[in-house]
Amino acid sequence: MGSLFAQLAVMGSSLVLIFGLLLLWRRGSAAHIAAFTAQSVALAATVAVIARFTGSAELWVVAAMFLAVKGVVMPLLLKRMERRFGESRELDPYVNTATSLVIGGLLVLFAYIVTRPVVEVSQLPTRAGMPLAMGLIFVSLLVIISRKKALTQVIGFLMLENGIALLAALGTYGIPLIVEVGVFLDALMGFLVMQIVVYRIQQTFESLDIEQLNRLSQ
Amino acid sequence: MIDPTTGAYVLAVAQTALALALAPGLVGLVRWMKARLQNRQGAPVWQPYFELRKLFAKEVVVSNNASWLFSATPFIVFASTVAVTVLVPVLAVPLPFDRVGDLVVVVYLLLLGTFFLALAGLDPGSAFGGMGSSREMTVAALSEPTIALAIFALALSAGSTNLGQIVVRTMAEPAAALSPGYLLAFGALFIVTLAENGRLPVDNPGTHLELTMIHEAMVLEYSGRYLALLEWAAWLKLLLFFSLLGNLFVPWGVATTLAPAALALAVVSLLVKLTLLAAVVAVSETRVAKLRLFRVPELLAVSFVLAVLAITVSFLVR
Repeated sequence: MGSLFAQLAVMGSSLVLIFGLLLLWRRGSAAHIAAFTAQSVALAATVAVIARFTGSAELWVVAAMFLAVKGVVMPLLLKRMERRFGESRELDPYVNTATSLVIGGLLVLFAYIVTRPVVEVSQLPTRAGMPLAMGLIFVSLLVIISRKKALTQVIGFLMLENGIALLAALGTYGIPLIVEVGVFLDALMGFLVMQIVVYRIQQTFESLDIEQLNRLSQ
Repeated sequence: MIDPTTGAYVLAVAQTALALALAPGLVGLVRWMKARLQNRQGAPVWQPYFELRKLFAKEVVVSNNASWLFSATPFIVFASTVAVTVLVPVLAVPLPFDRVGDLVVVVYLLLLGTFFLALAGLDPGSAFGGMGSSREMTVAALSEPTIALAIFALALSAGSTNLGQIVVRTMAEPAAALSPGYLLAFGALFIVTLAENGRLPVDNPGTHLELTMIHEAMVLEYSGRYLALLEWAAWLKLLLFFSLLGNLFVPWGVATTLAPAALALAVVSLLVKLTLLAAVVAVSETRVAKLRLFRVPELLAVSFVLAVLAITVSFLVR
């Protein structure tokens, strides 16, 4: 039973990570939104698996919240943003696709190295998934610094949040519900604020390319 | 009752013969499914057999500029592919030739064929052949390490680089087949299968436009029985990759004894796996368009990263 739990947890975490890597590979914003949606559903499923095996009622609530907000509401908002700005394509990122994929792979290896001490002392059956969650955090950071379009960066930030949530769920079987809800609302608010900022960028420069921000405008 | 050792060798030969016999049918099946999915009538599944018969009967036309390499290559390519068939667990494990070579030998035998094919593409001095060779080498240089890495991920959890041993170990531990390492390696190997066999989205096997060809451009100068051998070898390679995908990752059905019942089951399960994979390839080829050549390395980078992750997951989490 314990081994099945461990296996499902690792499987869920690797799915979550792979959808994160998809962000580095694909260019179109529609594909990015689809990847984020799928990742959120995988995250909710992983949390549900943890809830099922630990019998924690709070985690069920968290899983349902992830599914509702990150799996449904945020993708809808993202799609609305995309409709308003038109499909944005990541044509000329700072780091090209093939290189950033390889860097992404190296970052996951790096995540294994940095989480090694934690994984070694941990007794939880879910410990094998922790490096993958950490890897997702690094990969999301890579997305944020290597991509130029504001929409991609926003999705990168949301995936970073997913990675942190996954790490919390795997490492401690979820933080107290009130904290979880707090973090959650924070992320949602952050997302809404970013939506407005992106809208302003679009208004001012008629493009979502954040490189334009380096230029002083009169 | 025949001696088990002799029986195993007989089986290895029979398995090779079966693979050779099935390979054209497999390609015909993929083509037929694709045609049906695209609302075309489609040639019958056994059309490739007719093609082989026709090509073997035709005369060979060789360019005046071609050297001995040109006429040696079809035999080298065909022989190296058949040699791989002996090493890959198509029907039963453990194979008697396991002592001869493991997965490293398999990878390099496949590369040997690719290498000579690229040389033969350059040999007659035609523009398209050289272009095809250069492209094929680009793809091969990127996909070959990924094959090795993906199978090494399995070898790490099985503790042996022997393909037969990997299958035996996976059968002993069915839970391992669902582990993320296996799934990642499967994804990596699947992408490489498409790239190595010149399928969409890397190369279009049905193209008639020389500018977009990779594999077809290299064999453009070949005709008659040479072309037949090369085509047959390419089809056999597809079958080999499919049976690697089917038997390494989902080993159930592979015979572990030489009992007739187990072997019959192995044949049936092999046919089922090949049909399923052919259907997956047909559907995916109907859905995707060919990638621009300069975006192919990105696809292969995805596959490489999947393979690296597979190794990381199966090696560091033990």
